[in-house]
Amino acid sequence: MSMIEVSNLTKDFRKTIKSPGLVGAFKSLIKPKYETFEAVKNLSFEVPKGEILGFIGANGAGKSTTIKMLTGILTPTSGYCRINDKIPQEDRQNYVKDIGVVFGQRTQLWWDLPLRETYSVLKEIYNVPDKNFYKRMDFLNEVLDLNDFITSPVRTLSLGQRMRADIAASLLHNPKVLFLDEPTIGLDVSVKDKIRHAIEQINQEEQTTIILTTHDLGDIELLCNRVFMIDHGQEVFDGTIKQLKNRFGHIREIEFELVNAEDANRLNFSQFGSAIEYSQNEKNVRVKFDSSKVSVPDVIRLTLSQVDVQDISVKDADIEDIVRRIFRKEAAEHD
Amino acid sequence: MRRVLHLEKIFISQYLKQTMEYKADFIVGVLGVLLNQVLNLIFLQVIFSQVPKLAGWSLQQIVFIYGFALIPKGLDHLFFDNLWIVGQKLVRKGEFDKYLTRPINPLFHVLVETFQVDAFGELLVGVILLVMSSATVHWTLLKVILFIVSIPFATAIYTALKIGTSAAAFWMKKSNTITYLFYMFNDFAKYPVSIFNHLIRWIISFVIPFAFTAFYPASYFLTGKNVLFNLGGLVVISVVFLFISIKIWNKGISSYESAGS
Amino acid sequence: MTNFLRKYRPFVSAGIEEAIVYRANFLLFALGNTLGAFVTYFLWKAVFQSSTNSSLSGFTFPEMVLYIFLSFFTGILTSSDGSSSVGDEVKDGSIAMRILKPISFTANYFYEEIGSKLIDVGVLAVPLFGGILIYQIVGTGTPVLNLGNLLLYFFSATVAYLINFYFNICFSFTAFFFRNLWGSNVLKNALVIFMSGSLVPLAFFPPVLQNVLKVLPFSSLLYTPVMLYLGKYSMQQTISVLLLQIFWLIFFIFLAKIIWHFAIKHLSIQGG
Repeated sequence: MSMIEVSNLTKDFRKTIKSPGLVGAFKSLIKPKYETFEAVKNLSFEVPKGEILGFIGANGAGKSTTIKMLTGILTPTSGYCRINDKIPQEDRQNYVKDIGVVFGQRTQLWWDLPLRETYSVLKEIYNVPDKNFYKRMDFLNEVLDLNDFITSPVRTLSLGQRMRADIAASLLHNPKVLFLDEPTIGLDVSVKDKIRHAIEQINQEEQTTIILTTHDLGDIELLCNRVFMIDHGQEVFDGTIKQLKNRFGHIREIEFELVNAEDANRLNFSQFGSAIEYSQNEKNVRVKFDSSKVSVPDVIRLTLSQVDVQDISVKDADIEDIVRRIFRKEAAEHD
Repeated sequence: MRRVLHLEKIFISQYLKQTMEYKADFIVGVLGVLLNQVLNLIFLQVIFSQVPKLAGWSLQQIVFIYGFALIPKGLDHLFFDNLWIVGQKLVRKGEFDKYLTRPINPLFHVLVETFQVDAFGELLVGVILLVMSSATVHWTLLKVILFIVSIPFATAIYTALKIGTSAAAFWMKKSNTITYLFYMFNDFAKYPVSIFNHLIRWIISFVIPFAFTAFYPASYFLTGKNVLFNLGGLVVISVVFLFISIKIWNKGISSYESAGS
Repeated sequence: MTNFLRKYRPFVSAGIEEAIVYRANFLLFALGNTLGAFVTYFLWKAVFQSSTNSSLSGFTFPEMVLYIFLSFFTGILTSSDGSSSVGDEVKDGSIAMRILKPISFTANYFYEEIGSKLIDVGVLAVPLFGGILIYQIVGTGTPVLNLGNLLLYFFSATVAYLINFYFNICFSFTAFFFRNLWGSNVLKNALVIFMSGSLVPLAFFPPVLQNVLKVLPFSSLLYTPVMLYLGKYSMQQTISVLLLQIFWLIFFIFLAKIIWHFAIKHLSIQGG
């Protein structure tokens, strides 16, 4: 049985069009113009219990709108979603008892009070019995290391601490479904790591179904069994990370810093055919290739056998890159 | 109901702790509200130093009406002031999302979240004025009971107008100035309606019915006349307005568009 | 001078644009405030009707009507809300962005405010000031419209605005100490409304209190321009109240500079 079922979900917004400048501002004062904007179009998918679904797309693709419909904040224009056997918009108050929500850009913590106070209010709001509450706090402390700052006012927390505290706040009532909207945005690598680890642990311990939106490929690769990608409000991909890479190829980029710039003349990648291309800027040589056809070690080995190298750096393609490639490919298919 | 009171208690204590983070500011604020009322009284004093009676009402009687007006206003201010923030920024900035992801009624959640202590300035002055002028009222047991009953209904008129107008934000993004425009009509409630012209009298009686939060009920206690209109009207108007405003609010929530990404 | 204008023009026009975007809000807000003036009007009307004298503390009823609406209009003309944003900015830490900009702290607020002020006054002057003029021309027993008084009024009101602007800037620095300006704002507004004569003409107070209030800076904010418009002052009085206004303006400009000098050393940004 699936935990989340989404069927033909659609959301239109009406937007006021503003003309630029003073005259424009006056015009829209007298006669405002509207246009309809389809933020989400006909999305359908299912998520089984216990899965972590990576929900990705470029900025403005409709991710947040979708999440807000799934969490009951927005009412769909048409279509529906059924989560934990409830329609969020019909039975909202009852529905939200079993979900947890974290919006990375926003906090649900009481800004001026010590963090601990937020948890004691949430305990009352969600009606968590004392016994469960203490057990739960122990678990969350262990996973998210809250103890270091639980007595500090929220406004004094660092971004990473605040995010951990927010995730804990969304998990206090042991929800069946957890929505995480950009939980690692703006964090440094070690904090990201901690948060990813915590998410993994929560998922395994409680079989919590998780929907995760992110721009960070690392989040997806480490956490998600499955990726769902949308663009312009429509589904463009649904499958595993591996399938995503296989299907759209995987561009890798290696940058070599040579000892002598002239050595570049000796480079010869012809044995890999058209799967590889390179460019040179003084001592730096940038090699781009499709890693489904050519392996990284092969490229490095061949390069080292031809020239003297000072430094090597390997770059991964990010989500934005993949999205861009998908569209280039689709455009090509249409031609 | 027990859960409602329990949550109310929790939220109030949280809010007080929060306020205490800015102690100095808070104390100055209470003084400010208090001073504001005192200065308004000096204004009344100035007026009555010119004339013995105003439109047939003595200073004592006007003071009673004025004091009565401050009680429902202060109570609404004390408990339900967070409604202003809905129209000011909660909807526009998408912060209203929070209330929709919690398992309690969003209107209730918004209402209990603040506890505006500076309202004690209004309540304190209101009570003092009522006590000072209570000799002008010919009190009976019935009047005392009706007095106590009329206060929550009068408060509900304030709250209903704020709920209805702040719900406009769900369509307009920002509506605190509409709330403000409506709210400012309460200034008219503090004086006998007979000093106003017909249009204003009609507006403050039936459209933005603040006259029922002060002058009408107070005039019953002062004169003992027209109980049906003065108090019956209060009950009917407050129930009708509360009902309509909650309808508007609930409709607004389904049109809520959130904000940003 | 043109260079100066070019540098600040973007701030002014940004202020105007913003004001238009929020114009509906502003109009409703102004309308809400007008209600207060109407309450006062009806109250005085009842007072004059209940009184046997045709003149109270030197004011006839038509003069009182003019006083009420003119002091309301003057209140808008000379209002300055730079201080309220300083409080918020200290609270959320964005004050740092202002300090980093390569123009003076006060100028920054001034040019932002001028833009929206032009719109505010422009929109309201027509119905309000127009209404006042029409009342003066067609009403019976109203003071005669006097061009000299009109000019004196606008000069004095402009000075009043500048005093108010610098006064509010000075006041806004209390945010550095209170960290939150809401409470002190409530207190300040109550006092200013009372002492500037916008609630009751100062002439209605006992003589001793009157004399004190007339020397304090608050009367310069509102009472002085309105009384000049009504032609209540002799030549000699006119000169002395105008000199007093200019004295307070210079006083607050210097005070603002001194406070800013000290405040910047104590700036502790919250929430950072």
